[in-house]
Amino acid sequence: MAFRESGRGYEIKLLVLAGLYLAAGAAAAYLWAGGDPRTYVIGVAAPALAFLLVAVIFQALKFKADPFLLPVVAVLSYTSLVMLYRINQFYAVRQFVWVLAGLAFMFLTTRLFTNYRRLSDYKYIYGLMGAVALIIPIFFGIEEGGAKSWLNFGAFHLQPSEFVKILVVLFLASFMSENRMVLTRDTVTIRGISFPGPRSWGPLLGMWGISLLLLVFQRDLGTALIYFGTFLAMVYVATARMLYIGVGLILFMGGGTLSYFLFSHVRQRVDIWLLNPYNFIELGDRAYNQAYQIVQSLFAIGAGGLTGTGLGGGYPLFIPAVHTDFIFSAITEEMGLLGGVGIIVLYVFFIFRGFKIALESRDDFSKLMAAGLTALMALQSFTIIAGVTKLLPLTGVTLPFISYGGSSLLANFIILGMLLNISHEANAHE
Amino acid sequence: MNDNIKRLAYFLISIFAVLVVYLGYLNVVVGPKLFTDPHNRRLAAAEKGMIRGTIYDRQDVVLAEDRVDKGVKKRVYPFGQATAHLLGFVSQRYGRTGLESTFDSHLLALDDAGKIQALVDRVLGRQRYGYDITLSVDSRLQRKAATLLGGKRGAVVALDPRTGAVLAMSSWPSFDPETIEDVVKTDKVNKNGKLADVNVTSYDMLQRQADAAPLLNRAARGIYPPGSIFKVITGAALLESKPQLLSNKECQGSTTVDGFVLKDTGVHGNVDFNTAMAVSCNTYFAEQALDLGEANLKKAAASFGLNLIGYDSSGRIRGDYPVTGGEIAFNPGTMPSSGMGGAELASTAIGQGRTLVSPFQMAMVAAGVANGGNIMKPYTLETVTSKNGRTIYKKPGPEVFASAISPRTAGLLAEAMEQCVKSGTGAQASVQGVRVAGKTGSAQNPHGQTHAWFIGFAPVENPAIAVAVVVENAGGGGNVAAPVARELIRQYLKQ
Repeated sequence: MAFRESGRGYEIKLLVLAGLYLAAGAAAAYLWAGGDPRTYVIGVAAPALAFLLVAVIFQALKFKADPFLLPVVAVLSYTSLVMLYRINQFYAVRQFVWVLAGLAFMFLTTRLFTNYRRLSDYKYIYGLMGAVALIIPIFFGIEEGGAKSWLNFGAFHLQPSEFVKILVVLFLASFMSENRMVLTRDTVTIRGISFPGPRSWGPLLGMWGISLLLLVFQRDLGTALIYFGTFLAMVYVATARMLYIGVGLILFMGGGTLSYFLFSHVRQRVDIWLLNPYNFIELGDRAYNQAYQIVQSLFAIGAGGLTGTGLGGGYPLFIPAVHTDFIFSAITEEMGLLGGVGIIVLYVFFIFRGFKIALESRDDFSKLMAAGLTALMALQSFTIIAGVTKLLPLTGVTLPFISYGGSSLLANFIILGMLLNISHEANAHE
Repeated sequence: MNDNIKRLAYFLISIFAVLVVYLGYLNVVVGPKLFTDPHNRRLAAAEKGMIRGTIYDRQDVVLAEDRVDKGVKKRVYPFGQATAHLLGFVSQRYGRTGLESTFDSHLLALDDAGKIQALVDRVLGRQRYGYDITLSVDSRLQRKAATLLGGKRGAVVALDPRTGAVLAMSSWPSFDPETIEDVVKTDKVNKNGKLADVNVTSYDMLQRQADAAPLLNRAARGIYPPGSIFKVITGAALLESKPQLLSNKECQGSTTVDGFVLKDTGVHGNVDFNTAMAVSCNTYFAEQALDLGEANLKKAAASFGLNLIGYDSSGRIRGDYPVTGGEIAFNPGTMPSSGMGGAELASTAIGQGRTLVSPFQMAMVAAGVANGGNIMKPYTLETVTSKNGRTIYKKPGPEVFASAISPRTAGLLAEAMEQCVKSGTGAQASVQGVRVAGKTGSAQNPHGQTHAWFIGFAPVENPAIAVAVVVENAGGGGNVAAPVARELIRQYLKQ
């Protein structure tokens, strides 16, 4: 699709609508919680105007990126601010700062890396950086929420794996676009069946190793799952070799099964998942206590009904860690099934636009990077929503743009910036 | 490469579609059940700020209501112990039971309309009210049932066989639902070498009575050997499967199966089906059952809702005892699924063996025979009404729970059961001017005297009430249980 000049116009109009959405949320919060009205005015005006300002600058700069991604992210961030304000005002104030910082990071990304293709030249440098950043927390990290993947910087805690995921996609995109032919053609034929040859196995085993490293040393089941899933998605895009993907899945499941038997925290998560959740009355008290967190999450979702209890009408604080991993349950309780589905639809829309950017890009590196970043976003949002609804075993990852947390928010805004760059590049040469 | 990207996009978007469908299922289908789970702290939280709905019986008599006295809210049960097991209780400490728990979502107005109303009320600072509910229960019959049990351990269930409406459900011994949280005494308990005071509540005291088990709802969750009332099921099996076999049998006062001697209550001589039912002839039913075969007997039992389950080698049920869900969760009758052999088949046919039943299950059996073979789905909830008179729910027409037997079989069984009350062991259940059908049972058990059983219905021509009565270790069904049924039938039909 050719980029139309009216695109930025859409973006601005949609951002005005998103601003009204935030204002409505703040009004509801004010009715419910009260307090100083000026707090609310600032809370609404600053982010709404900041997003609009970015859009206006984009227009002035004749930036030709996809005009729908920014409004989608704005609505997700605004939902985050409103929900966090409702859950705990302390978190909301910090998140407010992080959203503005994230927006600045996104803008800087679009300015500094407009010519993002250069990045593929330095792939081994940031491949190494990523590896180091992942290893540091193993030795110097602190534990939060069961995962030892955090670095303590006094005023704030940083989770390197959130940023490394961008480097992983960058590295894989560079590596695969360069070696695509090798990856596709390298074949060993055994008894008439073609298998990928030895040179293709290196990256697979390497990624598998990194994922296991995360799993074993940082106890971060969710991030491991997302890294490996993103890797498989990118391999598929590059080679379409189902056999390779199949072996990858088997390897991952093997690793998963092994860790089920080796690590109690993994076993516990899976055992809870296997319990029948809808008949807790017949469940013994011990099993009930073990599954406490996920049970509270399901209770919250069940309490929502179609339309929800309304902002402030539910009891999301019954759920431990509601401001991070479980924020989706709180949204569903207070905004109902409609609100929960609305959030999911926003992610689907983000993913749809992301893949559209990948399709419209003109070179392999751009396609792989756009598809990889989008798959990353898709897998992360799917993993956590499926986790808190008990469709899959619970793994502690953040819900992109909504969960409380600076590392995650900044990383996601950088991903948004990269996608916008790729989109601009694709549209600029039409 | 673009094809690959498209396929990946389709895949990822479709997993989100699965997620949406699953979320909808979780939220809309499972949600209400999750919400009323007794572990859900939302129930207690919601209750704090509102007046819980009132529970009425079918004549709009109050069975339970919130009263505010000097700013303190209290749940009041005017019928006290008589409705304790039926209604259950609501307690911060001890959870929620009975119909109070089943209908929590109504009593706390937790539906979508109620949630919107709650939001409006909260903004306007108004008192919030739950919905009032009306039950099919007849409070006079309910009280009568408790009185008739007269302090003896036992249970009574009365149903309307045409609709499945629960008219009364009583279990004894009972408890006072208003005082379960009250502290009755303080015990000195040795804790780490120090004597500490520990408050003992009524509930604690009730729990300590393991033998009398006053908290157990015997009507729905008590399981007993059925004794001769099981002959109704055996009779149904005979009439359904092999009507041509119904030749007369010669009763000599006992019969021997595989060396096992099955005693009878007397020498009944040459008996036909109706006489055998009337005098409760063990020989007749045992010998007929041997001709009929195990499979046919089990098929008939299953069609009435009994479960066939596995036993381990020590004779205990494998896994948990099954529960049939619904407004009132009850234990269905159970029979061993494994093969029985001649001796056990003969004793099963007369209600001994390993078969176990609850009074609720047997009331449904009686109701099925009364209603031409169709057991209607038991229910208690008639209507739900909001504080301002809006109807939230109205019970739709009756639903069939199971088609147990053919109308012809039901008619023949009713005839035999009527004879039992007219001239047989059930004579004490007869009511002047009313055609009553029934069957007595005196179930042997390891705890002393037989359990006295009676199941039946009336009037035979147009059944309005079906009952099941059990009195534990009280002797013969004809002398102990049948009079209880008689008084219930008399009282209900008089109204």
